[in-house]
Amino acid sequence: MEAFWNSIAEYNAQTWPWQLAFIAVAALFTVLLWVRPMTWVKIATKVLMVFESLWIAFVYYMKFGEGREYSSVMTIFWCLVAAAWIYDLVTHYSSFQKSGKYRPWGVIMILLPLVYPVISLLRGMSFPQMTTPMLPSAVALYMLGMLMAFNRKVNFFAFIFIVHWAVIAISKIVLFNIPEDSLLAFACLPAMFIFFKEAVDNSTGDESKPSKTAVKALILAVTVLIGACMVIEYV
Amino acid sequence: MTQEYVNDIADFISRYISHMLGAGVHTSRVVRNSKRIGEALGADVRIHTSQKTATLTVCSKDGKTMNTRVLDIPGFPISFEWNADLSALSWAAYDNEMSLDAIRHKFDEIVSKPKMNPWFVLFMVGLANASFCRLFGGDIWAMLVVFTSTLVGFFTRQHLTRRGVNHYIVFIVSAFVASLCASSALSLGLETAEIALATSVLYLVPGVPLINGVIDITDGHIQIGISRIVNALMLIICIAIGMSATLMLVKDSLL
Repeated sequence: MEAFWNSIAEYNAQTWPWQLAFIAVAALFTVLLWVRPMTWVKIATKVLMVFESLWIAFVYYMKFGEGREYSSVMTIFWCLVAAAWIYDLVTHYSSFQKSGKYRPWGVIMILLPLVYPVISLLRGMSFPQMTTPMLPSAVALYMLGMLMAFNRKVNFFAFIFIVHWAVIAISKIVLFNIPEDSLLAFACLPAMFIFFKEAVDNSTGDESKPSKTAVKALILAVTVLIGACMVIEYV
Repeated sequence: MTQEYVNDIADFISRYISHMLGAGVHTSRVVRNSKRIGEALGADVRIHTSQKTATLTVCSKDGKTMNTRVLDIPGFPISFEWNADLSALSWAAYDNEMSLDAIRHKFDEIVSKPKMNPWFVLFMVGLANASFCRLFGGDIWAMLVVFTSTLVGFFTRQHLTRRGVNHYIVFIVSAFVASLCASSALSLGLETAEIALATSVLYLVPGVPLINGVIDITDGHIQIGISRIVNALMLIICIAIGMSATLMLVKDSLL
């Protein structure tokens, strides 16, 4: 656990100007996407997602997390997240268009990464040994918020990777004493249900079985089951 | 029996065979069922099968009229439902002395039934793989990791298959992605992380071709049996390649 927090402290101390720059650019693109969703903004946002993923992979895990066991696994994982966004860029898989549905949820999720340092401060931690919006879970939460706020057509590859990351985050809460990650866990479960439910509703083509209602019930049951596992483990 | 009627029977049995073999039914059952339908319609049926094609001859009992054709076997998804329903159809045709039109009508009903919802399959495969993890001794966190890893891997497989990517490549990529995601359990220090890693690719194991291959060989359909086993072994090698790539990166720390 000590190696974990030491690596975060070193990462924050040496990269805080970069982190601020990332947050500023992300805020700018989010606002632009909201008020004036032009094509170049959508492309730029996806490029930002690629850079954020690669930043987490190479700077956070490869450089500063080097001392932690199996940090290379996380480097490769975040490279896969970057690959999911690159694939999206090439194939125009997601549209980053507002759908009107679940927009308030999306806004809350986009803002949640900013709560990370607040929770750390409330826990009595101080800079640089504290969480920031440019840690992996906070970045995943930002991506999830963007997918939720602009969810007319979602990048499902990136989304499923984030769901996987959220499961890892759940187990990290106790293992590394990082309760801030519960934000991602709690945000991800409803998002998981909403995105899969929307996907089932929007699935076109031949009639399939079981009925859409039954599939949505299964998705809800699995989501509740994961939530129950989390609660049983920690309460 | 007129030549036209024999042609009609051959037309129908061609469709029957291609659907049965394409859906992963073992050869002796396909041959038995086809002969039974032929018997119900008053014709003799002889079949030679291989992995991609089948040769069918339908002839009248007196041997005066016959029709021979070579048919392609399309790659349908494995369907136990088709297997059961089409087998039952052959018995119904034989027991109830159904006409060719009635059999054809029933066949069309069976093969036009709705397909499984891909999102349902995705979740069920995830749950099945998580259950495998439990059976091999994985704890709750390992099961969750395997569940989401399988979601990632199987979604990749579904997506690439829809795009028409070569299925060997699909298997390599899916195995790599699923095992890599599962390997994240190692970084958490879970006691059963290695079980999660090992069970994350089990959803790819080609069980049906392996079983069919063995059944075919023991039933004397050596050629198609060996073809099916070789095909299954190729897929297993692809899984091994995908998983080895992960292990080389993770365990040998290539990065």
